[in-house]
Amino acid sequence: MARWALISGLRGDLEAYEAIQADLRHTRRVDTLFVLGDVIGPERECDALRLSQGEAAVDALLQAVDPGHMGWLAALQFGFIELDCALLHGSSAAVDDSLGPNSSPLLLLDRLTRMDVNRLFTARSGRQFRLELTGGGIDSQVRDLESQRHQQQSVPQRQVIGIGAGVRYTLYDPGSDRLDFLSAGSKPQQRPRGFA
Amino acid sequence: MVQGKDLDPAAIEVTLTVRLIAMPQSHAVISCLHANLAALEAVLADIDQQGIATITCLGDLVGYGPQPNEVVDLVRQRAIPTCQGCWDEDIIEGLNACDCSYPSQLAERRGHLAHQWTAEQLSEESKAFLASLPMSLRRDRLLFVHGSPNSQHEYLLPDMDAFAALERVESAGAETLFCGHTHRPYVRELREGSIRVRQMSGEPAGVAEAEDRELRLPLRRIINAGSVGEPRHGNTNPTYVIHDEDIGAVEIRELPYEVERTCSAIVDAGLPPIFAWRLRHGFEYAERADDASHVCER
Repeated sequence: MARWALISGLRGDLEAYEAIQADLRHTRRVDTLFVLGDVIGPERECDALRLSQGEAAVDALLQAVDPGHMGWLAALQFGFIELDCALLHGSSAAVDDSLGPNSSPLLLLDRLTRMDVNRLFTARSGRQFRLELTGGGIDSQVRDLESQRHQQQSVPQRQVIGIGAGVRYTLYDPGSDRLDFLSAGSKPQQRPRGFA
Repeated sequence: MVQGKDLDPAAIEVTLTVRLIAMPQSHAVISCLHANLAALEAVLADIDQQGIATITCLGDLVGYGPQPNEVVDLVRQRAIPTCQGCWDEDIIEGLNACDCSYPSQLAERRGHLAHQWTAEQLSEESKAFLASLPMSLRRDRLLFVHGSPNSQHEYLLPDMDAFAALERVESAGAETLFCGHTHRPYVRELREGSIRVRQMSGEPAGVAEAEDRELRLPLRRIINAGSVGEPRHGNTNPTYVIHDEDIGAVEIRELPYEVERTCSAIVDAGLPPIFAWRLRHGFEYAERADDASHVCER
């Protein structure tokens, strides 16, 4: 079964991108590469970007991008829906919504529910993590002018996954639900990493 | 002026008793007035009759109805704390402020006609008042909004996902959320909630180490006031709610008003007659056949 590679937070770091590409070419079986935003940034120069030194960050960022790329950047999608997965930079609420290991489970469930997906891959926090909603429920009682209704709702088994940033990236196998958190350029480990 | 000798002691006693019974912690919440003066007058008279002095309005003072200035004037005259509704925002900011407030393309076209007419009729003073309205009002742990804490345009429907509904209340730091916008009054209680999470961190070396935790969710309530001027709950009567802060009781009140007075004014004003027809018959019948697949891309 083919796998997805999920990267983000390159911020103009061409070396990091090349390291990931080399990693994928030599050691990983990947059929699709998804880039979840923050391709450009004011910190580093690369062939495609020009950076003005000593300016405010936003100005530097604008200066760093070739005008020919501005239209392309502006046309980028908010995210991708693949199978039952949402692949986003932030979350279903906003592009700058930062979800992390310590985010409220209620918030995580809301972000999953907004897009009605079972897996939400996010990059904004820059961290690698997997949070699985494993159980729970809630009682709801609605009264209106006509009737009173009582409902019990269970927590669906869904996950939010942080994919990392820069050289830290993630592989995902949608067939087996296996995740691997990786760092480009790191030596192969003696035992398998990740979890199914 | 009433002279002392004219006062009937029995009447004084009755008045005092009514004031005491009226429970000082009771307050009324109204929403979605939609320039319907007759309906607003009927609701305010009913609130006064209950002896309730504290009223909060959840916006949408204008739109669809024929008396936008009169309704704004009455709300200002009564000094009713009010937050801004989607129509109030759109009249000030232009229709682009709207995310997607219409259930169909036909309803959207009618809405645009009402928007244009209302924008032409509103005085600069009324517009300035609508522009000054806050997005939300807060009183202790009670939060008052038009749609949701996120947006004046978001519908908190009575049967929406319970966790998502709770998230709207909890993220806003409230215990009870008062909203409108749906034009359907309801009281929703969310209780005994919990979410269990298993965390598997990928840091620092990618080794899977599981950690389980459980979040116990607090009891929260959403109270929708319905609509004064454009009821859509299957009935033509205005609705509003009375909330007793002490015991948490909520009464959804529904009352008749002079609907023909508003219908005549709609026709006389040159607004689309369909607005009068649906006030007379109820929203459900007017919009049921519309295109349900419409997706607004604005």
